Amino acid sequence: MKRILIVDDAATVRLYHRKILESACFAVEEAVNGIEALEKTLRAPFDLYIVDVNMSKLDGYGLLKDLRSRGMPQAPAIMVSAEASAKDRIRAFIAGANLYLLKPVKPAQLLSHACLLLGEIYIGKVRP
Amino acid sequence: MTPLLEQFISEARDLLQGIGEKLLQLETSPGSPELMKELFRLVHTLKGGSGLFEFPEMTRVLHAGEDLLDTVRDGRVAYSESLADRLLETMDFVGLLMDEIEATGSSSAAHADYSAHLAKSLQQLMGDSGEVKSVESVPGPAKTAAISASLSLALSELPAALRMRLYRDVMAGSPLSWLEYTPEADCFFKGEDPLFLMLQIPETVWGGIASAQAMPPLAELDAYRCQLVFRALTAAEPAILHELFRYIPEQVGITAIPALVLAAPHDDNNGVPGSESDVDGFRAIVQSQREILSLPDNDAWLPGRLQSVAATLAACLRATGRKELLASLEKSLALALTEVKALPLQTWLDEFLPELPEKEKNSQTCREVPPLPRASGLRAALRTSECSSAGFTGQPLPETPDNTAPAYEEPSVSTASHPDVEIKFGRRAEDSYAVARTLKVDQGKIDRLMSLIGEMVVAKNSLPYLANRAEAQYGASELAREIKAQYAVVNRIAEEMQDAIMQIRMMPVSFIFQRFPRLVRDTSRKLGKEVNLVLAGEDTEADKNIIEALADPLIHIVRNSLDHGLEPPGQRRAAGKPAAGRLSICASQESDRVLIDIADDGKGIDPDIIKRKAYENGLIDEAMLERITDREAVNLVFAAGFSTAAVVSDLSGRGVGMDVVRSTVEKIGGIVTLDSEKGRGTRIRLSLPLSMAVSNVMIIVTNDKVFGVPMESVVETVRVSRSAIRSIQRRLTAVLRERIIPLLSLNDLLALNVPQRANEDGELAVMVVRVHDDLIGVIVDDFRETVDIILKPLTGILGGLPGYAGSALLGDGSVLMVLNFRELI
Repeated sequence: MKRILIVDDAATVRLYHRKILESACFAVEEAVNGIEALEKTLRAPFDLYIVDVNMSKLDGYGLLKDLRSRGMPQAPAIMVSAEASAKDRIRAFIAGANLYLLKPVKPAQLLSHACLLLGEIYIGKVRP
Repeated sequence: MTPLLEQFISEARDLLQGIGEKLLQLETSPGSPELMKELFRLVHTLKGGSGLFEFPEMTRVLHAGEDLLDTVRDGRVAYSESLADRLLETMDFVGLLMDEIEATGSSSAAHADYSAHLAKSLQQLMGDSGEVKSVESVPGPAKTAAISASLSLALSELPAALRMRLYRDVMAGSPLSWLEYTPEADCFFKGEDPLFLMLQIPETVWGGIASAQAMPPLAELDAYRCQLVFRALTAAEPAILHELFRYIPEQVGITAIPALVLAAPHDDNNGVPGSESDVDGFRAIVQSQREILSLPDNDAWLPGRLQSVAATLAACLRATGRKELLASLEKSLALALTEVKALPLQTWLDEFLPELPEKEKNSQTCREVPPLPRASGLRAALRTSECSSAGFTGQPLPETPDNTAPAYEEPSVSTASHPDVEIKFGRRAEDSYAVARTLKVDQGKIDRLMSLIGEMVVAKNSLPYLANRAEAQYGASELAREIKAQYAVVNRIAEEMQDAIMQIRMMPVSFIFQRFPRLVRDTSRKLGKEVNLVLAGEDTEADKNIIEALADPLIHIVRNSLDHGLEPPGQRRAAGKPAAGRLSICASQESDRVLIDIADDGKGIDPDIIKRKAYENGLIDEAMLERITDREAVNLVFAAGFSTAAVVSDLSGRGVGMDVVRSTVEKIGGIVTLDSEKGRGTRIRLSLPLSMAVSNVMIIVTNDKVFGVPMESVVETVRVSRSAIRSIQRRLTAVLRERIIPLLSLNDLLALNVPQRANEDGELAVMVVRVHDDLIGVIVDDFRETVDIILKPLTGILGGLPGYAGSALLGDGSVLMVLNFRELI
């Protein structure tokens, strides 16, 4: 099963993303900041990262830079942010994000993108 | 566990055993068509049974085994030893699954790999000659349209998460089939049971029943004509489905479902694949990667970033089914990484996923994304389909095997409502068997009968006491006489009943013997020895508990014989013996004992080596070393502490755990004797009681208390005058029949500080008992009669008392403690 790591300091956001992704049978894990995300990655790398920008200890940019600096198989990363400016978007891409989505992410959009980034077809809305 | 599953497990074990036997018999007569036919039938029946439940691992290997046997039966593949090896291995695996199912009620998916491996190796044995039965029947286009209509309805019934899982499974190569079964109208009269057949389909994901045409008015309805269509979505191998419906292939349509059909959405407009939103997503992701690649190349983590871009693009290609581009993408990435530049990837992107003018973007990307069945199209087909109307009672079938059991019972209900119709539960000619002559009964029930009759025997024994009291206390001698007469009747019935129940518990020793051909075959092969196994007297019967307790010691002895007793072929030829060793296991009955002889013609036990080892281990002293006879010496292998691994490894004879063998056999009242001749072979004889349930004990009195002593350990009872007792080295002894017997006082053994009483003539009562191989005289106060008792082991706190073999109830209601001299002395 494909594994996804949600990195966000807000529990509600983590839960929201988790519910959406789990409905499509993905294995979802959580981390509250970049440090924890790195620790979990070193234990077992993930197939997709969904990363918030602002977090304590190590923020989203720092986490992505660190991930991309390591000599290990690189997985796609989605950065989710409330900032819509082009400057923030470029900054995310420089750090190593592969997709920049604006909060709040719509469930169908998140699922569709996650599926594509995991090499799978998104097969439709999931019933509650 | 459901009763159905219990039944299956019990039946399957018998079948497994039968299969093993047949395979071994085939080794000696490989050409026998009867054996082959029988073997095929057994495997087929087992497979059929396993198909009732959701044990895919088991069904898979059995199915492969059946196919293989089918080709062997037809003579397309020759029977060989390696083939038998593989089949035996398969049956071992099935047995293992069976154990697991029995213990936990299900089989874990962890065996899937091994199961697949086994199935594959079986298929390989079939080679080219065995046609693989997985015929991908592709129905004509007209039928496809109809099927896809009903299929889409089925798919819309599935929860999306399940659909997603199936989609992934299919992408990973698992089969998924849509099955549509239209039974003939008069199928009920042909012994077919469509519902049962459908329920037999393994791994059903969805199932439904619909009427084949519009239902006629009730008055015109012929209930004996089948007008239904059965449909199912199943993850079973197509070959299994074809096998299941092999008698009615013309009534069944089986279509493999491509993964993309699963991806077709049905009831929502929110995330249609290939729709605007999905294409948008694809475009957005590609566009983002383009942006990332156009960033300055000067960051330290550039290689990682490039890799992540390539990983992202690769995922998108996989998701949209354009795997042919993956290779070129990988090449570009490699180039980009060596040059530490984004340019090669950019070039790749421009070449294969070019950026299009805004207006054409949608249509172009749409063309590139493989066309998917659109929801609207399916719905339209559905509307025109005749089976979409009323009468369709589609419902997801339960997935758990537990739930199949109640469904299985439905046919019997319908039999009641159609008395004229004989429904055969889909059983086929080769499954049929004669009416069972034997009943399978749970052991617990027999044990209960046994303990009840035990109580009955004790209860009836109180009648004579009652008669005596009637006469002595109330002077009713007439009544006493009648009670006694009645007692005689009750006594006779109770004894017969006890005998009958004991008979039920009797099992033939073949129960243990049957595993030896396999054990000997495997072990001797491993050791590189040739062994002819001779079994005799397999019909000899003994009590269930005896037989069960016998299994381990016997296996131990046989292993020892193979390992240490029989020599390799070369060594045997040099010794002038035939290359193949002979191992015989014979059972016979001698009065109330069962004798089991295990004899080999191996190198025997060298008494000198045993003596030396025993001396080195401190088991015997120097004086003993001189005195001991060869026969006594070889019996030292039974001594505890003799059998340490280090001693045994370089020892010519046996020794591994022989003390354990002896103690196990003695625990059930048996005796082990060993004869060995150096260079000629070894014979071990086990002598066992026929039954353990009733023990014959002698009642003795000491210090005004009564105790029982098992008769099997009593050699004789004698009266010895005080003057004949002498003290040698401060131990009491007496000479009996020209042998010096050491004497022990029972009061001393029981730690009662009271001297033993003699009778008026100054004679002491001495009971000579056999403890291991020694005779010992135990002084008691007096002997009484011998009685048959039901010996019950001590439990609870008393269970820790080793000096007692158990307790029994006497006729007057008092408790008799039965001594265990082996532990006491």
